[in-house]
Parts: sequence; structure tokens; C-alpha cells
Amino acid sequence: MQQERFFGQVPVVSNEPLARDTWLLRLDAPAVARTIWPGQFVMLRIPGCQDPLLGRAFALWDTQETLSGGPRYLELGYLVVGKMTRAMRNLHRGQKVELWGPLGNGFSEFEVDHLVLVAGGIGQTPFVALTHAALHQRSYGHPARRYRARKVTLCYGTRSAELLAGVEHFQRLGVEVLLSTDDGTAGHRGLVTEVFQKLLPRLSGTSVLVIACGPEPMMVQTAQLALQHQLPCWLSLEAPMACGIGICCSCVVPVRRGQGWDYCRSCLQGPVFDAQQLCLEQMA
Amino acid sequence: MNQASEAVSLEVELGPVRLPNPVLVASGTFGHETEMAGWVDLTLLGGLVPKTITRRPRRGNPPPRTVETPCGMLNSIGLDNEGVDYFLQHQLPKLLELGCPVIVSVAGEDVEDFVELASQVSRVQGVTAVELNISCPNVAHGVDFATDPQLCYQVVHRVRQACRVPIWAKLTPNVTDIRPIAEAAQRAGADALTLINTCVGMAVNWRQRRPMLGTGTGGLSGPAIKPIALAAIYRALEVVSIPIVGVGGITSAEDVMEFLITGASAVQVGTANFFRPRVTMEILDQLPGLIRQLGAQGVQELIGTLRRPEGSA
Repeated sequence: MQQERFFGQVPVVSNEPLARDTWLLRLDAPAVARTIWPGQFVMLRIPGCQDPLLGRAFALWDTQETLSGGPRYLELGYLVVGKMTRAMRNLHRGQKVELWGPLGNGFSEFEVDHLVLVAGGIGQTPFVALTHAALHQRSYGHPARRYRARKVTLCYGTRSAELLAGVEHFQRLGVEVLLSTDDGTAGHRGLVTEVFQKLLPRLSGTSVLVIACGPEPMMVQTAQLALQHQLPCWLSLEAPMACGIGICCSCVVPVRRGQGWDYCRSCLQGPVFDAQQLCLEQMA
Repeated sequence: MNQASEAVSLEVELGPVRLPNPVLVASGTFGHETEMAGWVDLTLLGGLVPKTITRRPRRGNPPPRTVETPCGMLNSIGLDNEGVDYFLQHQLPKLLELGCPVIVSVAGEDVEDFVELASQVSRVQGVTAVELNISCPNVAHGVDFATDPQLCYQVVHRVRQACRVPIWAKLTPNVTDIRPIAEAAQRAGADALTLINTCVGMAVNWRQRRPMLGTGTGGLSGPAIKPIALAAIYRALEVVSIPIVGVGGITSAEDVMEFLITGASAVQVGTANFFRPRVTMEILDQLPGLIRQLGAQGVQELIGTLRRPEGSA
């Protein structure tokens, strides 16, 4: 069964700060909220605006259900980095945005003992809904996907403590959260990959899945560490894209093909890739 | 409410080619084959031009391949495609099943490449026309053919002799004067001109002291280049009488009207597909209303009805 795709204007329900430069946008978009899987994304644009012109890709943060049941609100977490996200800060309740999706493959279904999530920067966004599903049996999407984990650990690093967004949210869901910051204002002082590396010896003997999302060098290093320890590892890539639907060919990433490698479109075949599919040496 | 909507004819003629309507999609902005099937009703398009094909597969340029600029975007995709053999075997059959006219865009590294590609494609039953991409700014030598009238003449003339289907020559705006090149293409036997390809441009990250694109420069597209496209058509029509397919920054039915009035017999929507996947369908909905506003019964009678100013350059 194919997933239905939506294109249209939807109203903003709320737009609130989560941390420094980090916001949570809630949209009244039942058509997408009902169908989207964790790890998928949507494209968002300000209607009629020619500068910024293009849509931007945002991963699903979570969906919210109404009392009458069924997901209705679509939540997107975003970090203010450029022209579009600066403009998005000013979005207010009732204002309409242009939205298309759900897009991309999303996370495949899994059942593991221990799910280890490694996030850098704004890379924690796709893990909120995934954790909700994996620890609390919440089902997402149409057709529905199932994710199961007995335990979830999140290694999460940012430049500084005030950029950490959604930590309590993960803790409330029952996630073990291990933090790092570049400046040492929270958790381990240093890289999140160092936190992950320290965790690795504890991971033997159980069924483990590692999923990373964040800056490319961080993801590549996480994948290399996981693969060295024979742990399955998926990466949720953040390749910049103009369309999200497979026609602009911007978001290409190197994948193994026969003896060599080729580019493939991250928006169609990703953004979630098994690390073994990717040609990591081309990315690093 | 829909009184008289049946009275407006969208059909257009481009030399030997008759299209159901003037709204096509531009090469490189609509995928390799049927990627857009889930977003638009492809059967309604005036024509579909898939991403340019080359003789051998091309991986394309290293990312970052696109960057947004004010009211536009730069790209340097680098003709990423699977090559003509794969295209003919796997992609073209799917395209020809769609029921909308298919115009195949080809690019060669030399004249022989163009001749070989065009004749291979023209042997396939059902291809409406071949568009010669002699103006891609993102491959070595890609732009040369359409920056020199003699080279332009040579490639179009040789393809004309080898190719049974109508030929559209896609020209570049990156020239001092497009008229001698347009004239050369016409003289060589082109059935239509596609105007324009992207404009060479660049974006810079001054902090990193680096260009924002992996290849340095790229091709500018989007609303930012619409005035350049209109001027190129306006200029070319001073010297050619073959039909023109207008491309460059079209995002609405109003934009389409501007191109038709200026003298384009049809248009291609490009970059707008990226940020409004259903833009072609919206344009097709709105176009009849705008045509009626000018008191016309159909598109054909509006083409090139621009009132040229007295002191026009």
C-alpha cells in the first residue's frame, strides 16, 4: 500500500522556543500527521514568498492526537540557521504555511533489546517520535509501522548547554540520556562520538541498533565505530535539497554500487540509510 | 460558473508539432522519468522534457549542487543521468506510456555525440521532438555550441541530417547577443528554439572564503531570470520566424501570459516545480481565464501580440 502525499496550505497552531535558537512549530495538518512515519520529513515554505524561494526539509518531531482520536497536529523542530528559519520564528497562530509530504523512506520497522541513538546539533529531532513508538508502542503512519525496544539510550551533543532541546522530553519517555557539549556546560566536555565510544563496551551480548543523525562527520564517525563493533547502524542524513521529491538531484549521497560507488537521491532512497549501503570514505 | 470555459482552446502549433496546451516542464526540473506521477496528472501536461541524457552514464558533480539565491537558485548538477542505453531501455518506454508529448533532451561532448544521440532517440516511435541541450553551463565544453553561431550551425545542421523528428535547439543567455546564434540555429534547420537555459552565476561564503557550490560557478534559475528570458525571446524574434519555447522563472499563469504575448509559442516550467510540485496544474487551471480576459478564443491568437515600443532597441 502506498502512502498518500499531501500538498497544500495548513495553519500554524503554535510556534514556541525549545532552547536557544531552537523552536517547535505545530501545524494543523491531519492529512500528514496521520500518514507520516518517524524518520520521514516534510517540505515547508512560506506561501507566495520569493525570497526565500525554496522549501526547506524538516524531519518529523512528533504528532499530537486530538481527544476524539487520530493524529491531527504535526510538530517540527527547527534550529535558526538562515534566511528561512529566521523568517519562521515570526510565524504565528493561524498563519498559513505551504507543506508537502510525507517524504523519504523513514525508519524501517525493528524489534531490538537496546536502541542507541546518537544525535548532534539539531539531529535529535527524528528521535522523539521514534522513541515514543519504540518504548510506548505508539503507532505511527498509514500504513502503520511498528518499532520495539526494551531500552533506549540517547547520546546527544551540542555546542553549549543552552542549545540542548527536548532533553526532559526524552527523559519523560524513559530514555537514558547521555549529554555532551563542546564547552563543557553540560555533560561530557567534547564530542558526542566520544560519549558513544565509551558506551560501546556495555553493548555486547544483546540485540542492538544504533541510529545517528547530525553533522556529517559525526555520523560518519559513529557509523565507523558501530561497524567496527559489528553493530548495525543507520544514518538519518541531512543532505540539503531544493524539492524533496526526487526532481532537483541536489541531495545526492554516495552509495556502494558493484565494485564502485554512485550518487543516489537522499530524498527518495533516504534520508535513512544503513551505514553499510553508504560509501563513508566519500563522505568523510 | 464555468460558462464559456469550453470556448478557450489551449492547443498550440510549433512548426510540425501540435501540443494540447502550451505548458511544458523543463529538462532537469521534472526528474528522469515518472518521478512526478504522484504529484501531478502527467497526462494533462503540454509536454514533458525529462532530464538531459548523454551517451555514457554520468555521476554528476559533487555536492553541494544547489544553493538558494535571492528569488532564485544556483545549480551545478552536472548532467547526472544513467546514459542513453539505460534511458532507451528503461526510462523512455515509461515516459511514452504517459500519454503526454515527450521531448527528449540530449547533450553531447562533440558534434558526433549529438548526432548519435539524436538519431538513436529519433528512431523510437512516439518521441515528439528532440531538444538539443547545447547550453548546459555545468559541464566542460557544454556551453560552447550555443555561444558561437558557427558551432551552433554545425551541430544543428548535422543533427538535422541524421534526425527524423523535429529538433528544438536550447540556447544560452550567456552571450553578448543571442540574435546571430538564434539565426544560425534556424538556418541550420532547427524546428524551434528553447530560450533560455540558466545564467552563469556564483554564490560565495566569505567566512570560509569558498564558493557555495562544489564546482565554483553554476546556473541561475527561478524568478530572478524571468526578465532575461523575456528579453532573449524578444531579441531572437527580431531575426527568426521559427517558434520559440520560453523558459526562465515561470511560476504562474500570469508569467505564462507574459511569455506568450512576447512571442513564445509554448513555455516550460522549471524551478517552480521544485517549490510548488503542482504548479503546472494550477497554471493550467488558471490560464483559460486569463486568455478570456484578453477577449481571445485560444492561445494561438495571442502568441507574439506584444506591442513593440516605437523606440525599441
